[in-house]
Amino acid sequence: MTSQAPNDLDQLLAAWARARRLPEADAERILGAIVPAAPALPASWWFEFNSKVSAVITRATATPAPALAVLR
Amino acid sequence: MTTSRDDAAAFTWIFDRHRHAVHAYFLGRVADPELARDLLQETFLRAWRRLPEIAPLEAEQQRAWIFTVARNLAIDSYRANAARQAAEAALRHDAATFQTTVAGPHRQAELGERLAQLDAAIRRLPEDQRVILSMATAGELTSRQIGEALGEPAGTVRYRLSQARKQLAAALDLEEPA
Repeated sequence: MTSQAPNDLDQLLAAWARARRLPEADAERILGAIVPAAPALPASWWFEFNSKVSAVITRATATPAPALAVLR
Repeated sequence: MTTSRDDAAAFTWIFDRHRHAVHAYFLGRVADPELARDLLQETFLRAWRRLPEIAPLEAEQQRAWIFTVARNLAIDSYRANAARQAAEAALRHDAATFQTTVAGPHRQAELGERLAQLDAAIRRLPEDQRVILSMATAGELTSRQIGEALGEPAGTVRYRLSQARKQLAAALDLEEPA
């Protein structure tokens, strides 16, 4: 493994650019400072979701009317 | 401004796409990493406030819009004299600071020394060359993109980039291809 530092301008500039680029942590911090947190789901969301799921399950498992008529 | 998930996602996309280029521009202009970050944040804060106007634009038009804001902020910053003071303070940092920050304990000392020399040489470049060099390297923009962002012909950008490279090669005693 070589221990020589690059003596090519492009390689040195690439290393300089990597060192000077905006760190990801700084980018995250800036983004977080600019964009307010998106609103949480409204309180009614779960209630409405559960109601819809319940309705689908009820419809899917209900005995069809013709079948009920035969049973009677 | 109320924030929707769509707004946040659209802005994050814009931020991720352009942040390196804008940061590189400010690095070249003010030479001080902390001030560059502050100006970057202010630029994108203004973009956020105008998101409905910017989000539908093509990426190149977004870049043009963002760089118009960035250039104005750099001018305002200069007028306030803060940038000049910060740049002067940054110029007073000795090479060892850069070496310690960048190279760290596990990097080769020789590489750190060369990078410190390069950093010092970049700081000595004329500002117009330093900005273009920073945008081309840290910002990874083409000469055409830099020209569009700065409102200058691509040929002028290429010439200044070439001049900057020649000066750096001379300062570091490197051979620069003709």
